[in-house]
Amino acid sequence: MIFGRHSVLKRGCSTWVKEQMPQEEFEGRLEAARREMARQDLAALVIYGDNYSFADLCYLANYFPKVRGGIAVVPQSGAISLLLNIGSRDVPFAKTLTWVEDVRASNQVGGDGVKLLAEKGLDRANIGLVDSGQGFPLPQLEEMKIGLPHVQWKACHSLFEPMRLKKSARELSALCAAGKLLQEIGAGAQSFVKQGRKEYEIVADIDRLARDKGAEDIRILAGATRLNPPSFKQSTALGNHWALYLAVQHERYWAEAGRTFVLSNDATLRAAYEKAREIVGQMAAQLKPGGAAAAIDETARRALGEIYPTASMYGLGNGIGLGQWEAPFFSADDARQVGSPSVGAATLNGNMTLALRVCFETEGKLILFGESFRVTATGPSSLLSG
Amino acid sequence: MDGLQEFAKRLAEIRRGMRDKGLQTLLVYDSGRHNFLRMNYVAYLTDFISVGPETMLVLPLEEAPVLYLSPVWDIARAQEESWVTDIRPFKEFWSRLAHLTGKVGIVGREVLSAGLHDEIVKSLGQAPVNAKDVIENIARCKTDFELARLRRAAAIADAGVKALHEDAHAGLKEYELAAIVEYRMRSLGAEDNFGMVVANSHNQALHPPTDRVVQPGDIIIGEITPCIGGLFVQICRTMVLGQPAPVVQEKYAILKEAMGLGMEAAKTGAPASAIAAAINGTLTDAGYEKYCRPPFMRVRGHGLGCGSSAPGNLEDGNQTRLEKGMTFIIHPNQYIPETGYMTLGDTVVMTAQKAEALTRSSWDIYVKD
Repeated sequence: MIFGRHSVLKRGCSTWVKEQMPQEEFEGRLEAARREMARQDLAALVIYGDNYSFADLCYLANYFPKVRGGIAVVPQSGAISLLLNIGSRDVPFAKTLTWVEDVRASNQVGGDGVKLLAEKGLDRANIGLVDSGQGFPLPQLEEMKIGLPHVQWKACHSLFEPMRLKKSARELSALCAAGKLLQEIGAGAQSFVKQGRKEYEIVADIDRLARDKGAEDIRILAGATRLNPPSFKQSTALGNHWALYLAVQHERYWAEAGRTFVLSNDATLRAAYEKAREIVGQMAAQLKPGGAAAAIDETARRALGEIYPTASMYGLGNGIGLGQWEAPFFSADDARQVGSPSVGAATLNGNMTLALRVCFETEGKLILFGESFRVTATGPSSLLSG
Repeated sequence: MDGLQEFAKRLAEIRRGMRDKGLQTLLVYDSGRHNFLRMNYVAYLTDFISVGPETMLVLPLEEAPVLYLSPVWDIARAQEESWVTDIRPFKEFWSRLAHLTGKVGIVGREVLSAGLHDEIVKSLGQAPVNAKDVIENIARCKTDFELARLRRAAAIADAGVKALHEDAHAGLKEYELAAIVEYRMRSLGAEDNFGMVVANSHNQALHPPTDRVVQPGDIIIGEITPCIGGLFVQICRTMVLGQPAPVVQEKYAILKEAMGLGMEAAKTGAPASAIAAAINGTLTDAGYEKYCRPPFMRVRGHGLGCGSSAPGNLEDGNQTRLEKGMTFIIHPNQYIPETGYMTLGDTVVMTAQKAEALTRSSWDIYVKD
């Protein structure tokens, strides 16, 4: 899997465009969640999210934490509450990002979570804990569990996974918007990538382009021989080749792409990049409803031959949506790296969205191609080019 | 002192702390979520900022430290950047863990998941003791090595403010204002930024930018926090597009006075709360006592982590004594009912006697006609 330097703050454009993702979308999700809660005999859910891993929290509430984390308390009936690790003066802004009316500030989510659950009469209940990103800070989680000795906790980290696997029409629209934005950023990057420029200067240009286009967040890794996160240590002047990984979050949804810039007539590098593109194309050809997720990995294995182990280190793909990495995963190890208990789905459904990538070395230089796709009845549809 | 000497010194001090606590081994964890609100202990001991998801430094009392990390493809970067030379895939950590003997301490519980913690306890056959104080205690005062990076970050923060002064204008969206600052700082090498820049005729608070279009007469407030080598420096400033109303200048003058008195109160040996008291006293004298408390305001500054976040929050009750080498932000940012929220603040380093600002931008409200 490709992990980037996680930003300390989600500092891009932060809005909720209600016309694109209205409250009724979330009410439908809440109904589905409550049906599953009833099936599992759960009186409530506690859903943790932070600015690194916000997908489940956001799926229900549309809120994504900007810095620290927080929880949603979802009773089987009655109002949802958000308890967020923010200052009380930040509550009005937080409310602009969610349809949930009860938004509370806390600097001790564990302790205040105890009070909130007790207030809702849930201090002796069966409660499902959803922390699919495994980010709930241990001391806070321990405080909450110790403070509620009569609660029966059930790990429900995958509860939302089946719902999130199949994207709704509005989600697909949001994903296409993120893909289109990424396409524009990638196209714009071509004019920034010049020999002799410092790597961090190019990264600054790409970042600016993304921010100016309203991205909520962006991940950039780049380099000639490996993928580096932005660092003042990466001040090398660009040579004749540069691999670039981009992931952009827009209106909560992620899209991902990988490109390699060959700034010379080096035939070996150009051929290698073409090979990477072709292999991703072959992998994408397996994206059809009813197809096996394993067939994508198998296709890559055959096409990559002896360089398969290197390519699989970076992960050959995964689901993408509210999470930069989400089900379906192609291997248990990929799933484990992002805290998921399983690969999620062995069979592809229509309207799943996946990021595919191929990354390997040629003559000591890194070659990367990646693209995000939607599974349709007629085959793969790129989220970037539509 | 170069990086390797710095690392050797830190390691020696940590091991002294381990001996004092009877620890045979220290497990130092990070999840790849570098954040200035807390210390990144792995970065402090390796000079390597991981991207995650699992990074564990195993530091025995006698043997050489080993850094275990994922993803595997990032090992090459760690080998180039880290002070630790023995770097291995995270999955090898488990076999090492099973062979550890003696009392084991753990640092980084705050970012450890419950599942991973349980696995560690099971493999180790004991619950490791929370030993973060071992590192926090030696990191509380910045070294010359850290200060060199902080001064570079401070110059970048000032450049970010200057960019905003140069390029902000009505018609931009808030997120474009924020991008102006970010771009200048990244172009100078900033790795990250805790940055909020917003504009309104009456700001309620700082928040991440929206798509609101900036209007003539808007007050632009910013909290700008670039990062170099994992170390953050923060600056807070206010500007106005067009001549501000007299009341804005009048009320902003209270912030300047509070800032000055806060700086004066920051004497080496004084408690951190003295700074908050000086700032709150100024605002109370001006008639804004109730606005010094939640939901309007709470702290008057704070430590900046990655290294240490000592002395903690500048607030009532924080009796932590200010020591030479501590760095923190003093910010009398304030919501005032007549003007809205305004910002002013500098990152300082404690010298032998007093606080010295690292950031240099003028405290004056910047007026752009």
